[in-house]
Amino acid sequence: MALELIDVHKSYAMNIGRKHVLRGVNGIFRKGERVGVLGRNGTGKSTLVRILGGIEAPTRGSIRRTMSVSWPIGMAAGFQSALSGADNTRFIARIYDRPVQPTVDYVESFAELGEYLHMPVHTYSAGMRSRLGLAISLAVDFDCFLVDEALAVGDTKFGRAFGARLQRAGLIIVTHSPSLVRQLCTRAAVLDQGTLTFYEDLDEALATYNSL
Amino acid sequence: MSGTAPEPLLIDCGRQQLRVIGALIIREMHTRFGRHRLGYLWLFFEPLLLGGMIALIHGSGLRGGGGDSLRNTFEFFSIGYIMFFAFRGMINRASSTIGANRGLLYHRQVTLPDLFFARHLIEAVACTGVMVIFTLAGIAMGGDPPASPVKMLCALALMVLVGQGVAMVVGAATSEWEALDRLVHAMSYLMLPFSGLFFMMEWLPEWMQETVAWIPTVPIYELLREGQFGDRVTAHYDLSYVAGWILIPHLLGLTGLRITRTRIGLE
Repeated sequence: MALELIDVHKSYAMNIGRKHVLRGVNGIFRKGERVGVLGRNGTGKSTLVRILGGIEAPTRGSIRRTMSVSWPIGMAAGFQSALSGADNTRFIARIYDRPVQPTVDYVESFAELGEYLHMPVHTYSAGMRSRLGLAISLAVDFDCFLVDEALAVGDTKFGRAFGARLQRAGLIIVTHSPSLVRQLCTRAAVLDQGTLTFYEDLDEALATYNSL
Repeated sequence: MSGTAPEPLLIDCGRQQLRVIGALIIREMHTRFGRHRLGYLWLFFEPLLLGGMIALIHGSGLRGGGGDSLRNTFEFFSIGYIMFFAFRGMINRASSTIGANRGLLYHRQVTLPDLFFARHLIEAVACTGVMVIFTLAGIAMGGDPPASPVKMLCALALMVLVGQGVAMVVGAATSEWEALDRLVHAMSYLMLPFSGLFFMMEWLPEWMQETVAWIPTVPIYELLREGQFGDRVTAHYDLSYVAGWILIPHLLGLTGLRITRTRIGLE
């Protein structure tokens, strides 16, 4: 069970011509692995996340998804901001075919949102949005959690509980933050110039990334 | 572990899509009418009120005429109007459908056509409910029961399907060219007198009949009136023409939305 990218290209039509963001990305993410993907700003991290999450199709190449992969969990991703956190939880539980009330209960006990759970998501702080997204994704439970950008969870009860939970989960974190990768991942890859290079050794990956 | 998973079956995909549409319907009801249970009544109340008013103005004889002619019946205008109301609602809301749901596109099983199908199902259910109410009200006021309720429901279904195709085209087109939205709103209002709501083909001179037959809603209204009034009217319609107006916009709309999905940013 894995998520595999085979010669993935992605380009967008721009006013100034085609912009090639990914130029032949190959890689395999196996079930249970915790992989950090490091990339500087503007190297196509968001594009790669959307392709990994299956919400954008590559221009060329293919993706084989033989394990369940979460939606890209980030600050804003996946919510209707006019609806409350609880309503968003119910919606997501329904589309992933999970029991609605237990999912809401889990999020209520885990996300530490208090009364805000029943307030519109647009009233949330960035940290609260992150916690909501992470808590819902943990409730749905995936083989692999796809995390976009830095996790604004911090050293709170939630942050520790979440970290502990992730120690047992498959994970792909796409970020520009080396410290997060060192903290949560066992393997790393560097995205640069439209290609992805994997390193079995974390230190080697981080050194390469820092020298970019 | 072999590293391969069985390919999902078509029926699983179908079930998944129904789940998504069901969830979207509940979500749409919440955003449109709030979480208060009574808010849902507005879904029926709004067309009921508007259709009732239009029927009163045209059907009560306030505009002269009188006698027993169809032009003065409550059912003619009330039911006619709510069908136009549903049609126009679908098309006018089409341009906001994608934008209002952008955050949900982060979930890969939510597709752009699902967003439209969910809204249109709500519209169809509301319109059916109000149609039943108006029909019963018409009978209560001393009118005849409809000759063929099935034909009336078919007309409603055709109206929703034509609206759906056009709405998907509008949704795809306005996501590329936003200014188009204003034109669509204006057009949907200007269409009102030509839609077939206020006339039947047989009331028009021959040269006009040929022209209005090109308007896709006109044959649908003819079918509706045949269902409502049976032998009291002579309906003129060609449903294969309406079928074309369903198929071609659906093809264009679905293709357009496929392209749109690759072109829109996710906030």
